[in-house]
Amino acid sequence: MNTITTYPQCRIVPMRLLGPDTTQRLLDRIVKVPGIRRMLLNGQNIPAVVPYGPARGAKNETRLRKTIEIAGNSVDLHVQVGTITLEIEDKTVIEQIRAICDEFFVDFPCSVQEGRFMKSQPSLVDYAKYGPEADPSVIGLVDPKRKEKPSLIHPLGDRVCGGCEL
Amino acid sequence: MTARSPQYGPGTSVVAINRRKQMDPTHKLTTMRNITDEDIVLLLGHRAPGASFKTMHPPITEQQEPSCPMRHLVKPTEGAKHGDRVRYVQFADSMFNAPCQPYQRTYTEMYRFRGIDPGTLSGRQIVECRERDLEQYCRLLIETEMFDPALVSLRGATVHGHSLRLSEDGMQFDALQRCMLGKDGMVRYVKDQIGLPLNRMVEVGKPLDQKWLKEHSTIFHCLVGTALRDDAEYVEYLQRIHTLRTRYGFMPREA
Repeated sequence: MNTITTYPQCRIVPMRLLGPDTTQRLLDRIVKVPGIRRMLLNGQNIPAVVPYGPARGAKNETRLRKTIEIAGNSVDLHVQVGTITLEIEDKTVIEQIRAICDEFFVDFPCSVQEGRFMKSQPSLVDYAKYGPEADPSVIGLVDPKRKEKPSLIHPLGDRVCGGCEL
Repeated sequence: MTARSPQYGPGTSVVAINRRKQMDPTHKLTTMRNITDEDIVLLLGHRAPGASFKTMHPPITEQQEPSCPMRHLVKPTEGAKHGDRVRYVQFADSMFNAPCQPYQRTYTEMYRFRGIDPGTLSGRQIVECRERDLEQYCRLLIETEMFDPALVSLRGATVHGHSLRLSEDGMQFDALQRCMLGKDGMVRYVKDQIGLPLNRMVEVGKPLDQKWLKEHSTIFHCLVGTALRDDAEYVEYLQRIHTLRTRYGFMPREA
């Protein structure tokens, strides 16, 4: 199955890794921009339990891993956000995103890059997990090895659901 | 014959000078902050504060030592004298102008400390020694200019973060968030080095400013600090080592 999309993509790369509160404030502004089809948050994983060492298995008490609210939808943030990749309807949206970022990031710089950043074809692991009839909108949006599902966010603030069934 | 004066390392840049200062045991490192014995014990997490040192053998004075000229020549460290067990401390240093870095740590410790077994990796450096000695050595490693509360951190495990972008508050990324920057600008450890929560927070001071860090860093970084290519002597030294090793392998004799 070929899910190659022709929609343009852009990537927001701040100079610093973003905490959950900053991510929420930024995304609150971004999701209001019409024309965003898919959004992917990348960053360093914040484990729920200590993964290595003598304390392995102990609960990881941290402020970096929390549930944030985006346009009225709850999203469990498991990473300290490093990049935000967006798939958009057309290139005019990029300028709006860039304007928001320029206004938002005042303490450190941020670049908005254009290119192809999301997976365009299902991998073997995608095929093993989702089968031949996988929803193209899910491919590249979530790590197929993870159990969590992607969140659906309604830009107008009406809650649709916290996760979609695959 | 004149006495040999050690050179410690090549280079004319500020990074090279800082490296030599840290390595030279006759150079007194500047104390930037004070930390109590109890705080060090809490951060290391090897024993409870006030608990006695666990031993792995009886004190040397109570043992039947074989008659060995080396044992007469080399005086044991305090930890070895008491038969302390061997424990460790591990540091992760950010590449964004941290005042120390793993190889530098090992060189410095080998020149300044006794009875240690360092392990050097790209993003972290572990040093093992007798527990009593370790706590003494940790004092120097944390209190002096070799430490910055934001860019250097004690990480026994889950060390990832040295090569990443900094967090938005300027702290080095730590998946376990062992230390946090308070609203008053102080950095406090809320977990020990392996990630277990502490009963009370341990304060390690305020992060040092960017100007100071750039002047005292021992890491070359072409974007945020001093570029290696700007230090011609260092580049020449590295090229020479590379050439000798390439041509002669483990017998680096020039023709």
